[in-house]
Amino acid sequence: MTYAPMKPTKPGYEEPHEQIRKIRITLCSKNVKNLEKVCSDLIQAAKAKAIRVKGPVRIPTKVLRITRKAPCGEGTNTWDIYELRIHKRLIDLYSTPDVVKQVTSITMEPGVQVEVTIVDV
Amino acid sequence: MGKKKFIDKKKSATFQLLARDSSDPNYSDSPGSDRVFVRVDNNPVSFDTIFDEDNNCYNDCQYDNEDSIFADAPNDNGDSGDDYDRVLGSSSHMVVNDKGALPENVRKEILELGFPDDGYNYLIHLREIRNTGGGSAFYHNPKFKPDQLPHDVKAYDASRVQISNSKGNYNEKSIYSVASNTLNARMNKVFDPEVAALLDDSDLLRFGSDVEDLEEDFVVRANTGEEGEGDESGKKLNFVEEFEFIDASVKNADTKSGNQEIANEVRNYQGEEKPRSRRLLDEQFDMLELKEYGSDDDDDDCEGYMAEEEEFLADNLKNVLNENDMDDLEHDDVYKAPADLLHGSKSPKSKELTADIMRRCAEYAENYENESEDEKVMVVQESSDESEQFDCESIISTYSTLDNHPGKIEAPGVTRKKKLAETVSGALSAKSQVISLRGKEKLPLDFLPNSRKAAAEKVKIACSIIPEQHKRKQHGQETKEEKKERKLAIKKERSEARKMKKAMKELYRSETQQAQKVAAISGPSAIRLM
Repeated sequence: MTYAPMKPTKPGYEEPHEQIRKIRITLCSKNVKNLEKVCSDLIQAAKAKAIRVKGPVRIPTKVLRITRKAPCGEGTNTWDIYELRIHKRLIDLYSTPDVVKQVTSITMEPGVQVEVTIVDV
Repeated sequence: MGKKKFIDKKKSATFQLLARDSSDPNYSDSPGSDRVFVRVDNNPVSFDTIFDEDNNCYNDCQYDNEDSIFADAPNDNGDSGDDYDRVLGSSSHMVVNDKGALPENVRKEILELGFPDDGYNYLIHLREIRNTGGGSAFYHNPKFKPDQLPHDVKAYDASRVQISNSKGNYNEKSIYSVASNTLNARMNKVFDPEVAALLDDSDLLRFGSDVEDLEEDFVVRANTGEEGEGDESGKKLNFVEEFEFIDASVKNADTKSGNQEIANEVRNYQGEEKPRSRRLLDEQFDMLELKEYGSDDDDDDCEGYMAEEEEFLADNLKNVLNENDMDDLEHDDVYKAPADLLHGSKSPKSKELTADIMRRCAEYAENYENESEDEKVMVVQESSDESEQFDCESIISTYSTLDNHPGKIEAPGVTRKKKLAETVSGALSAKSQVISLRGKEKLPLDFLPNSRKAAAEKVKIACSIIPEQHKRKQHGQETKEEKKERKLAIKKERSEARKMKKAMKELYRSETQQAQKVAAISGPSAIRLM
């Protein structure tokens, strides 16, 4: 957890979208490698912008399994198992949406879904 | 469970980062602007941040991002519900922000309905559609999308094709360079407003013609010179050309009956006009017709006649249209057959004419009905005519393969004829008048080329039998040698007979083969000789 100095704000002239809000970036993907890469990139960028970042929270992987009878062979142990793994990461930020937009404008790996949730204050 | 969440989902706005549609004007390849944030939740949170990008292109993003995973999904009730279930006036969730701009959801709705986004709340003029009596019921059909393209069809705005921007060289790959430089603007509504206006335009008076109110028989009128000579000739030509064209096309279809059908129609039409005075031309015309019907010759002749006939046709049509027989044409709204004319008219000359017409009509009808049979006959004749002219190839093709077999082509049998002559002369001179047929195959033995030998041997046998007979009489007093000799003689005799028999058999076989060869050419194959 980093404690970066907060951006100085001017009360009264502040525009709504410059407010510091809680922002959660949710990253989903099927393959871990790309996901981790994107994750680390985001965090690096956020740290470079000097905003408070809560590091990647790894949600337990969801494994979706399909089992079928294998086309070859007879008997009990002739099954095929197909699985799909969904990995999820969370990154929490305290910053203005403006900055977040810049942060997320990095090269994206294919197959990584990014969702940004902003709490309305 | 009392734990304070970092983010309360119900009070937050969620955006997804999606790839921007390449037709979007803001699109560029840099990481910064090839993606766009799209709001994916429907929480009553108004959010006027930079995440929504420019206000103007908010809805463009919505519509252009059909690459999003939600593109195929049917509209939620929330979206379509907004169309007609909108609440009038201000609602609980409308928040007016500092700028005084319309709240987001209001703006969204306004834009969805097609109104411009200029800060005015058009929704206050709109009424919610409810089926509450007093008139027709509105059924909202969620599948009805006016002017929208179905999802599997993509229309692109071709005005964005950039041909001039391609890199110069006009090689075969120029199409690809043009394509790569083109920004495709995908269109949901296909109709150009101008096109739509044209389509809706029911007032087509500006395309109306200057000539108004043509009479029903304007063609005939024009042709008879009421409008002037120029039109007349022009129209006549067209008419004639049409006829010729029809004839030509029918000819090309290569059915004689078709030709005759049209010719019939024309002639029938002509026949009705005969009450006017006959001229030399008419006689010639009739002669030609008779010629054509009288002798059903080859198509060449027929076509020649047809060509001539066309010219006469043209002339006749010209004459017909020239004459002031419009009264006849009108017929006073009564259908008049030639028989009626016959009975109706008083003068003998016209009677004669009409009688003539009727006769001819009957004749033509007969010919028309009979012509199909004639066609068949004609075909057969043609083939036999052609066969009179032979060339080497065609001659050879008439031979069967029994004769044309390479191994068996022989010189004609001259020697055989000689032999035959000998045997015949020999047999005729030696024997009686009756030709005896002997053997299994019943062949005239004496006339066979190899039969002289056989006949001589027979004579020999006949001779040799006699001395043996009077030797046998000494049955009791034979000595051993005499017996032996006798036995030997008998054995010899039998062997001779055997040889003879074999020779005869061979002879018969060869003869039947020869006969079969001959029969194969000329006679039907049902006769079996061997």
